[in-house]
Formats: sequence, C-alpha cells, structure tokens
Amino acid sequence: MTAPALSVTGLRAYYRTSHFGVEREVKAVDDIDFQVGVNEIYGIAGESSCGKSTLIKTIAAAIRPPLKVLAGSVVFNFGGRAVDVYRAGEREIDGIRWRHLSYIMQGSMNVLNPVRRVRNSFVDFAFRHIGRSTAEFTRVVVDHLKRLHLEPEVLDAYPHQLSGGMRQRVAIALATVCRPEFIIADEPTTALDVIVQKGVLAMIRDVQREIGSSLIFVTHDLAVHANLCHRLGIMYAGRLVEEGPTSEVFRQPLHPYTQHLVSSLPRIGDAEPKKGLEGAPPSLADPPSGCRFHPRCPVAMDVCRGNVPPMVTVAPGRRVACFVAAPESRP
Amino acid sequence: MSATLIEVAEVGRTYAMGGLFSRHRVRAVDSVSFAMETARPEIFTIIGESGSGKTTLARMILNMVAPTEGAIRFRGTDLSTIRGAEARLKFMRAVQPIFQNPFEAFNPLKRVDRYLFMTARRVAGLPEGEVEGAADTALRNVGLSLAEIRGRFPHELSGGQLQRVAIARALIPSPALIVADEPVSMIDASLRISVVNLLRRLRDEMGMSIIYITHDLATAYYISDRIIIMRKGQVVESGDARTVLDRPQHPYSIALKAAVLSPDGTNEKTEVTSHA
Ligand SMILES: Nc1ncnc2c1ncn2[C@@H]1O[C@H](COP(=O)(O)OP(=O)(O)OP(=O)(O)O)[C@@H](O)[C@H]1O
Ligand SMILES: Nc1ncnc2c1ncn2[C@@H]1O[C@H](COP(=O)(O)OP(=O)(O)OP(=O)(O)O)[C@@H](O)[C@H]1O
Ligand code: SF4
Ligand SMILES: [Mg+2]
Ligand SMILES: [Mg+2]
Repeated sequence: MTAPALSVTGLRAYYRTSHFGVEREVKAVDDIDFQVGVNEIYGIAGESSCGKSTLIKTIAAAIRPPLKVLAGSVVFNFGGRAVDVYRAGEREIDGIRWRHLSYIMQGSMNVLNPVRRVRNSFVDFAFRHIGRSTAEFTRVVVDHLKRLHLEPEVLDAYPHQLSGGMRQRVAIALATVCRPEFIIADEPTTALDVIVQKGVLAMIRDVQREIGSSLIFVTHDLAVHANLCHRLGIMYAGRLVEEGPTSEVFRQPLHPYTQHLVSSLPRIGDAEPKKGLEGAPPSLADPPSGCRFHPRCPVAMDVCRGNVPPMVTVAPGRRVACFVAAPESRP
Repeated sequence: MSATLIEVAEVGRTYAMGGLFSRHRVRAVDSVSFAMETARPEIFTIIGESGSGKTTLARMILNMVAPTEGAIRFRGTDLSTIRGAEARLKFMRAVQPIFQNPFEAFNPLKRVDRYLFMTARRVAGLPEGEVEGAADTALRNVGLSLAEIRGRFPHELSGGQLQRVAIARALIPSPALIVADEPVSMIDASLRISVVNLLRRLRDEMGMSIIYITHDLATAYYISDRIIIMRKGQVVESGDARTVLDRPQHPYSIALKAAVLSPDGTNEKTEVTSHA
C-alpha cells in the first residue's frame, strides 16, 4: 500500500470578522480528518453553507483573511515528495500549482481574465507546463476543449461572450489540460445541461485514469457523486459526519443526516417533491452544542446535546460521527 | 390594458465573434416565439443545451439586450420603445431578474444587503422605515435573514447563500414577472425544494408569472406549467411540461432525458491504487 496522496489531520479553519464592532467567528471547518488515495476520486457533499468550499480552499492553500487555519495539517504527497501546505513556503506552493495541484473554484470566474481572449489565459497558465511548439500547443488545447463539447472558436472569445456553462467548461479545461496529479474541483458542473455534464464527467474520469491522478470533487448533487466518486465524505455544519465507499453510503447510509439526504433524492417523474429537512441550517457563527445536527435529528438523545460525537470507524472503510450509528462512541 | 403579459414574437439575436482572422457570426437566439397571459399566471420553463441561447433570450425579455430580429411586448408595449427613467423604472418594477451565477452578478466591492435596500427604495419605492423589514421578509422566504447577511460582502457568503440573496432581492418589488436564470443551480436538493415551492406559491398566491431557466429536469417536472426545449438558438420542442418530459418527441429532448444521471450510479470507476 502506497502513501495517500493527501492527508488532512485535525483541520480547523474559522472566519474571524468584525462588522461595525461586532466580532464574529464562523466555525466553517472543525476538526476534520480524512485521506485521499492515489488514483482516487473523493467526493464531498453537504447542504448549502456547511463549509464545503471553505474546506476545499483550506486544502488548496487558497486561504485569505478573514479565513484562518487554527489547527491541523494538510499534507500532499506528489510521487514521494511530501508537501505540508501550512509549513511550506510560498515559493514551494507556487511551484506545485497547475502542474501538480489544480483548483477549480466555485463560480469559476476568477481564472479568466475578463479583458483578454480565452486563448491568452491558456497561454499564461499552461504553455510553459505543456512545453511544446505553439502549433502543437494549440492542437493539444483544441483537442482538450473538444472533449468538453467546446468548439475551437471559444479561444478567440472574451469571457463575457461565452455562456455561463461555456465559461465553466473553459475553467475546467484550464485546470485539467496540464494533467495535474491532484485536482480539486468545487461545484464545477452546476451550470451544465445533463448531456454536456456527462461529457465533462467522462473527461475528468479519463484524465484521472490516464495519469492516475487524485481528485476531490465537491458538489451538492448526489447523483454526480454516485456516478463519479469512489468514496464520499458527508459534511454537516463544518464537520465531516460520515465517510465510506460511495455505493455503500448510498445503499446503507449510517448518519441520520445522510439518511435524509439519500431518501430525499429527486427523480424526474416526482409530481410531488420529496420533503425537505425540517428546520434551518445552523449558523456556523453560533453552532448548536454537542452534535451539531441534534436540533434537526429525528433520533436525537440527551447525550447528543452536550457531547460531540467523535468520528469513529464502524466497519472497514466506513466512518461515522453519531451516537446512534456508533453506540460504542457514547461517553 | 392588454390581456397578454409578455409576447415574444419571432425573436432572434446574432452576435459577431472571433479574432482577426476568423470572424464569424453566432446565432444565439433564432426565431423564438411564445406568449404568457395576464389572467393565467404560470411557470414557463426553458431547458436546453449549454450555449443554446437561454440567457440571451432572458436578457432580451429583461430589455438588457435588444433583439436583432422580431419584437418583445410587455403588456402590449414594445420593449424597444421604452425610453426615459420613469418608463424604465416602471418596467423594472414589473419584471425582475434573477441572474445566472451569483458570483458574477454581485459587485464584489459592494455589501450584499445594499442591493436589497436599493431595490426596496428605488424599485419598490418603499418609505425608509419599511426598507429593512421588506429585505428581512424577502430573505426569510429563502431561508436566510437580514441578521445573517448584514454588512457582508459577496465573497463572504457561500454559493447557495448568495444565490438565495439574489432570489430574495427579486421578490421585494412584488413583480408581475420574474425571469429566473438557473436560480437553484448551487442549492442542495433539500433547500431547492423549499425554493421551488416558493416559486409555486408566488404563482398561486400572488399571481406572479415566472420564466424559469434550469438544467434540473426533476424540479422542472414538478413546478412547470409549460416548457420549451432549446438547442442552438432554436426551440426544438414545446408544450405542456409533464407531457413533454414524460414523452419527449424531438431526438434532442429524448437524449437530454436519457442523460439525467441516476443516483443509483452506473459508472465505470477505476480501481484505486492506494486507500486511505
Ligand atoms: N470570507 C468569509 N467571511 C465570513 N464568513 C464566510 C466567508 N466565506 C464564507 N463564509 C461563511 O462560512 C460558511 C461556510 O461557507 P462555504 O462557502 O464553505 O459553504 P459551502 O458548503 O461551500 O456552501 P455552498 O454549497 O452554498 O457553496 C457560510 O456560513 C458562509 O457564510
Ligand atoms: N455578448 C456576446 N457576444 C458574443 N456572443 C455571445 C454573447 N453573449 C452570448 N453569446 C453567444 O451566444 C450563445 C448563447 O449564449 P447564452 O448565454 O444565451 O447560452 P445559455 O443557453 O444561457 O447557456 P448556459 O446554459 O451555458 O448558460 C453562445 O454561443 C454564446 O457564446
Ligand atoms: S449524534 Fe445524536 S443528534 Fe447527532 S446525528 Fe446521531 S443521533 Fe442525531
Ligand atoms: Mg461552496
Ligand atoms: Mg445561461
């Protein structure tokens, strides 16, 4: 067994802000531990504002104030070379971007320069990594775009001349054309129709397979996870609450929150929608005590209100943080 | 007063694109027609390929982009004849947008609550004393509150939070027509249900009409009255939403329905070399 491609240990990252003299601390990532294997696609799911993007930014070394890493470590392993993101210097981090590690941000606009043609963005980010003649470089890029159902003409366009879904695909193309060893993607297919989405997922899978890269794929869309990810981590209110092989998590969800997610999956033909979860998502500035899910949990017990359930292994490859699913973890 | 709320008549939009050597024209929207009646509020859904002209059509209906062919009339008035601040404001009060990709729609340097206050003051014309209350009520409709977002900049909110702020903003003036361009793309299934239920309530209780652009066939099936399916600027199929989605006729619509990912996951995942 080789070393994991990524180890996240005890990671805690909060936003510390002050508006009009009111101090706020948003506990967006709290004590998260997980690993991603070489050649593995790891999915992260969870409701809006549970901290998915924050976790990903922290892993991708893309944090900016007011986000602060308070504890824990993020260690990548690029073919035997360990890079500890919060110990490494800026130089070292810059050196791994694009070629080794690429990050597709939610909204994906940040990478495209609005006043330059798309072609120039490719030249800026990818030319020196691909290292071929200009003609050959263009051919590589055009072939890559084709896999994302994009015509070569998009290279001549300015970002605002493209549709939302076309821009999203250009961002994916930029992040994958150099075939990095580790790809981190935050909601990269939200703006795509289902046919194009299928093509994009197939491309991602192909790139991953061809070079054996590792991927973290964040989306709230569980159907995408079911079709792409080997393993799935479920987040709730800043914490990881369940993890396991995707098919097992779907077949037999352990955490009450995951059970709700899986049973509420919409399908075409539903004339009536599945029921939403009762109650609002908790505020991460003032999260519930104990198990953060307890105010909405149908099986909550007294112990859940005052104690934080630890993430424990309950079966090979399966972890869960819940006093009902893992009774042995009760205090 | 005309009985037609909005009429889109043979509308087209062509763009010139390209570099120095390869100029070409994109037919973003190609003779699209439909009408919505005032007396029959409905959710009119537009589904289609990425790049098929949905946003361009929406921007034309919002009078932000002029058609190169055809005309759009709102309550009988051709949008191209709307001139002057007064007339524009009146149109904005009646027709409100929710833009695709909230990360682009909001100015990063402007606090998001300002957008809500501005809309309440300028578009809805509310007196100062009612501005905050109106913003809070609209936010509560989408599972947020003014206390939660007050003073925050767009990048300080999650994708789904920002998208819900955009929806809340559009509700403030109680428009007759909302043009919602992928309003739930960044929202999880559970919240999505409450947002689409909200759209339904707006139709049933407030008599609002909604043009709903989406890639999500499941919610489209659940809330739409009528649907059009677009590809390469043209409408390839249209009709009663459930009829079209149950039995699509055009090859593109059939392919679209077939491509919906099943949560049961029929993928060809690779073997993992190392496991955590
Ligand atoms: N710069 C910031 N300052 C303060 N709070 C922030 C900032 N960025 C995000 N937050 C808050 O942190 C929490 C987690 O946000 P995050 O973007 O990680 O959520 P998410 O899971 O990605 O949600 P979504 O699915 O809606 O994108 C939210 O409550 C959000 O408002
Ligand atoms: N300002 C513009 N200049 C040139 N071409 C444009 C402009 N706006 C849109 N287009 C082109 O028009 C076509 C339709 O774009 P539009 O944004 O309407 O698509 P869409 O259906 O909304 O797609 P998506 O689902 O990806 O958002 C695309 O080919 C796009 O490149
Ligand atoms: S720990 Fe308690 S409250 Fe939390 S999910 Fe389990 S049963 Fe529910
Ligand atoms: Mg996010
Ligand atoms: Mg669009």
